[in-house]
Formats: sequence, C-alpha cells, structure tokens
Amino acid sequence: MEKFTKQELSHHNGKNSTKPYIAYNGIVYDVSDSFHWKDGKHQVLHQAGEDLTEALQQAPHGEDLLGRVPIIGKLLEDE
Amino acid sequence: MAKVAREMVEKAGVNVDQLLEILVKNASAELTTFYYYTILRVNLIGLDGEGIKEIAEVARIEDRNHFEALVPRIYELGGKLPENMNDFHDISACPPAKLPKDPRDIKAMLTVLVEAERCAVRGYTNICNITAGKDHRTYDLSQAILNEEIEHESWFSEFLGEGPSGHFMRRGDTSPFVSKFLK
Repeated sequence: MEKFTKQELSHHNGKNSTKPYIAYNGIVYDVSDSFHWKDGKHQVLHQAGEDLTEALQQAPHGEDLLGRVPIIGKLLEDE
Repeated sequence: MAKVAREMVEKAGVNVDQLLEILVKNASAELTTFYYYTILRVNLIGLDGEGIKEIAEVARIEDRNHFEALVPRIYELGGKLPENMNDFHDISACPPAKLPKDPRDIKAMLTVLVEAERCAVRGYTNICNITAGKDHRTYDLSQAILNEEIEHESWFSEFLGEGPSGHFMRRGDTSPFVSKFLK
C-alpha cells in the first residue's frame, strides 16, 4: 500500500487534473469517482488533499460513507 | 437583494458567499430530484410499484416546493441561480436519482429514493449547523425543509423493511412545514 506524507497528499487536491485523495484516521482514500467530490471539492467547505479526520467529526455523516470509495494508501504521521 | 439582511448574517460570522453556494447547490438538488422523481413515479407500476407511488408523488411535489422556497432566500442574500440549466444540474448537491436498470425491481427503486432523501437530510442538517443562532431566516427555512426530508427518508426506509417510520401518509395539503414560506 502506498504511503503519503501530508505534503504529498496535499498535491492530490483535484486541481490541475490531479486525482483527488483525502485522508481519514491514517488511511488515504481516492475520491475521484465520487459524485460528492467533483473537482476535488466537497459540499463547498472541504478540499481534497487534506486530512479530514477532525472535519469528519463535525460532518452530517459518519465514516461509514468512506466505505464507498477505494482505499489507496496510508498517511504517514508527522515526524 | 436584502442588503441589511445580508449584513446581519455576515456580522453574525457566516461566510455568506459560501452559504449561498451551498443553498444554490441544494436548490439544484431539489429541482433535479423533482425531475428524476417524475420518471421514477411514472415507472412505479404493478402491485408493488403502485403501493409506493403515492408517497413518491408527495416527495416529488414537496421537493419542488423546497426549490421554490429556497430561491427567494438565495436572492435576498445577494445570490443568484446559474443562467444555464445544464450548469445548474451539474452543481447539484446530490447525485441524480436515476431510474434503476430494472424499474420492476422495487428494492432498487426504493434504494434510489431513500439515498436521495438521505443526501438531502445531510445537506439541510449541514445548513442548519452553519446558520444556527446566526442566520435565523435561513435556519428556519432549512429546518422546515429538513423536517420534510426526514419524513420522506422514513417513508422509503419503512418500505425497505428497515423498521417503522412512525408516520402516516399526508392528510390534506403537502409541505406541512415549508408551506409557510410559499404563501
């Protein structure tokens, strides 16, 4: 499984034809095929390329919805 | 545009441009759902289909009412709808509630319906969270819409065998919560 630093993850913001990836609880997800992540943006407020672990606590849905998108890697912790 | 109304919301700490984008996306979801539900309703046929046709129709009409109720608030706050209908469709906050490959598969039909309602419930909960105690009018409107979306979700969920909704079908007029915004 591919490993990403936060900086590497930030390049996957869905802009300039990059694939949009997001992280949650140390897992990196590919949201390219998700309707809810068109152009790397989610519900106006969130951008791909970020660790959304904290943001998801405030979201009107749980982590179960992440089961609908493929896992593509792990997020490395800050050194 | 209601200049002072917008100013009050901004002063309360709401990013009004962001809120407007969310409202327009949700208005699009309502209108597109109204369209797709029309196709679903038409295809709800046979013994099983007829059983849910009436609530699908109520949900369809109420979703159109939600669109009608959202539009004035968007313009009051200084926003506008996209000029192009294609653009409007493409920015929808929820995926298209498309007819399943086999329209006779009632479980597939109900899954499309309940997923659309669940997306709406999440969307209006989000708007309520953003506006609570800050933008009283948008909050009141979103909460009214949320009440109806939750009822739609529970109706379809009940038919999917997920448990009783605790509701009875509408008696009388549609949109018991949102109608005050349509008068």
